[in-house]
Amino acid sequence: MSSPVKRSVVITSLVVLLGTWVFWWGTDGFTALTAETARRVEILRSPRPLPAVTLEDQDGNIFNLQDYQGKLLAVDFIFTRCTTLCRSMGMIFKQIRDLIPPESLGRDFQLLSISFDPDHDDPVSLKKYGQTYGADGKIWRIARVPDKAELKSLLEAFGIVVIPDEFGGYEHNTALHLVGRDGKLRLISDIDKAVPFAEQVVALL
Amino acid sequence: MKLTSSHYAARMGFGLGVLYLLLATPVARDWMEASMSRHMLVQMPLLVVIGILASRLLPTHWQNSVLAHLGGAIPFVVVALFASTYWMLPRALDAALNDPVAEVAKFISLPLLVGFPLVLAWRRLTLIGRGFVWTNFISMLAVLGWLYIVAPVRVCNSYLVNDQESAGWYMVIGAVLLFLWWLGTLFVGGGVGPDKPDRNGTGTSLA
Amino acid sequence: MASYTYTPTPDQGAKASVVAYLVVSCVVLLLMMVFGLLMRLEQSQFTAIGGLWFYKIMTLHGAGMVGIVAIAGAAIMWHFLRQYVELSTGIFVANLVIFLIGVVMILASVLIGDFHAAWTFLFPLPGTSMGMWSQGAAALFMGGLLVIGVGFVLLHLDIARAIIKRYGGLGRGLGWPQLFGPDDGNAPPPAVVASTMVTIVNLVGLVVGASILVMMLVNLYVPTFEIDALLAKGMIYFFGHVFINAVIYMAVIAVYEILPRYTQRPWKSNKVFLASWTASTIMVMFIFPHHLLMDYAFPKWFLIMGHIIGYLNTFPILIVTGYGAMMIVYRSGIRWDMCSRLLFVSLFGWAVGAMPAFIDGTITVNYVMHNTLWVPGHFHTYLLLGMVAMVFGFMYYLVKPDENARDSAIDVAAFWGFVIGTMGFTMSFLYSGKESVPRRYAEHLPEWVPYDRIASYFVILLLASVLVFVFRFLTRLGLAGRDYQRASLARSIAT
Repeated sequence: MSSPVKRSVVITSLVVLLGTWVFWWGTDGFTALTAETARRVEILRSPRPLPAVTLEDQDGNIFNLQDYQGKLLAVDFIFTRCTTLCRSMGMIFKQIRDLIPPESLGRDFQLLSISFDPDHDDPVSLKKYGQTYGADGKIWRIARVPDKAELKSLLEAFGIVVIPDEFGGYEHNTALHLVGRDGKLRLISDIDKAVPFAEQVVALL
Repeated sequence: MKLTSSHYAARMGFGLGVLYLLLATPVARDWMEASMSRHMLVQMPLLVVIGILASRLLPTHWQNSVLAHLGGAIPFVVVALFASTYWMLPRALDAALNDPVAEVAKFISLPLLVGFPLVLAWRRLTLIGRGFVWTNFISMLAVLGWLYIVAPVRVCNSYLVNDQESAGWYMVIGAVLLFLWWLGTLFVGGGVGPDKPDRNGTGTSLA
Repeated sequence: MASYTYTPTPDQGAKASVVAYLVVSCVVLLLMMVFGLLMRLEQSQFTAIGGLWFYKIMTLHGAGMVGIVAIAGAAIMWHFLRQYVELSTGIFVANLVIFLIGVVMILASVLIGDFHAAWTFLFPLPGTSMGMWSQGAAALFMGGLLVIGVGFVLLHLDIARAIIKRYGGLGRGLGWPQLFGPDDGNAPPPAVVASTMVTIVNLVGLVVGASILVMMLVNLYVPTFEIDALLAKGMIYFFGHVFINAVIYMAVIAVYEILPRYTQRPWKSNKVFLASWTASTIMVMFIFPHHLLMDYAFPKWFLIMGHIIGYLNTFPILIVTGYGAMMIVYRSGIRWDMCSRLLFVSLFGWAVGAMPAFIDGTITVNYVMHNTLWVPGHFHTYLLLGMVAMVFGFMYYLVKPDENARDSAIDVAAFWGFVIGTMGFTMSFLYSGKESVPRRYAEHLPEWVPYDRIASYFVILLLASVLVFVFRFLTRLGLAGRDYQRASLARSIAT
């Protein structure tokens, strides 16, 4: 490299190439600028296995997440004291359930709302939440994970981040999750995409 | 800059090292990273400033030879631009909180890939180059702040949406103040830089 | 008090780059004037090009005129400033090239993409076209403005660098030591003071303009990133008003530099001169609210501030410049040629053109006048008879064959054609405004058509005169670059 100008041009180009590659790599090909998008892109590419956790539903029944294997399962995360998004989540889940052919409900498709606040959400409040949105407690169950360590690993696997807000409640990333028949998380979509979500489910039935 | 004395440089270096380690302690990290504003607008700039101050302690002839070997000011500005932009991605912020590797990368890259190259490049930049860096940085800050204020979604899973909005406002206010300060330096005649970007590597004094 | 004496300086020819600026300026200026005539003919119902083409032409006319007067003003400023500070020719040329790239983008956006939301790109109009133009066309238009802005930022940064290097800071460039301390007679010459002022306000204006353009581009593609419409309007008019105001402060340098050469009397950078330029530096940035006086949603104090500062800013530089010009000309026996005539009439045009704005700046008047042809009446007088007259004066100066060259009768006739044409055409704007004829309407009521027709005849007269100016400049272009004495010495000194 003879002249300083030439050297400057060559090195600048190398830096630009390298920098662009880092951005490409760090944003999954310029598609995911936020961690939330990244989580969704990654799930679509490779469905993620979920940990074995024990849950307790609104009637106090103890069951395992793995019990749902062989069926499609829609999952959302809530806490019952929530006054904002979780309320619309309830309505959205109801909307999804009503869009699925009745003969498939229970047999091939179920819904599960999981509370990440086991300290406050006992079966009584879970039941109350379910009744508000017409959850029957069988096809659509409301449950909590009593064991803190299990809850943590479950939230991690789903990519849910829960942080306390200044009003004693929580802020968390809200989305619709679909677990496949193999028990792997295979789709995450926006909560305002209830209809496309239901269509996806119907296509898989 | 000529070193006034090696004694001074050693003390300064020691101080910077202590500050750096202090920032890296779990207590300081937890506190700084608990809010988006502190994370983006205090901790990260402090890391860059540490890089800047530390790089200025390096011997002048050494700085010159690095610059001369690596093609002058422009590649260094570009490196700083890429590295600083990367850490403005919401995803990178989240990663720094949830992934220890990303956190380490942040602590290393901000001083080394933003502070250090800026120091090296700065001495060769004329007012045009410096003005380009300043206006580019200020407008990026303002636009990013605006995006954070009006974003319809929570861009970071680890931060409250209120926090995102106040971080946005701090950025916009910071951008306005920085711009006024920069204009102010033009009024009193500072910040001009060398008259011509010198190519022979002798280097003029740092502004 | 310091004493000022005139020291004759050799008359420098223009560099090729300045000539390139001026050639581009007169070609584009002429084309935009034709566009202006087309709009008046349409309103006069002489033609029927239809609403779409009217608004496309209006958008081009606005963007083109603002851009080209800025280019012409920059040419004058750069030509004279170069004699005091060391400027970079590379950046000056780069600005012209970048400008032309932006012009191509804007032309493509309007002519191919059918964009016609007016040059003010007022939010949210560019993004809500109701299918009249595509997202891409709107982005291309705003991108074109952004590109042009980047070029001017570069130019102003270079000017700032040069002034700081020579004088030690922009504050010194405005003559603050002499303004706030004892006047030692070493204040920078008027050309430097004016360039400093323009550089400061334009840098601030362009940064604000670029910010809102970027915000609107983001909003165009991701509408969920909402923009506060009042904020957007404030930012757009801040940028637009500062930028268009700055052109006359660039062009007036021609008056400061050329008139003294005719009468060999110095243009003094005394305390009053410096004070008025410093005052305007600040006030120019606060008068844009007179575009917002009808927006009741803005805070009241903001509008009242705009009203008051708008009043105050009308005068300082205008009076100082007008008075200064009188002092230079008074009993000097100045020889009137095309250049000195045009420069002198430009001060008259500036003064006359500022008055309608002064009236429109009154809140109660603004409510009923601002959206009428009154306002185009104001800025056409101010820009055409003020700023553009300075540009043509400068052009005539550059290509004047020799010191004692006489003007032909055609040039003198063209001068009067220019003055009368402009006056008649702007008076019809102002009168229509008084009669509440709305601005930016492609079609006019039958009652308004007579005014439009009168205006059209005057525009034709004006265009014919400008054709003579441009023809004269282009045919004598070879003279522009040479160094020789051009000003004819006044009778009081010529022996």
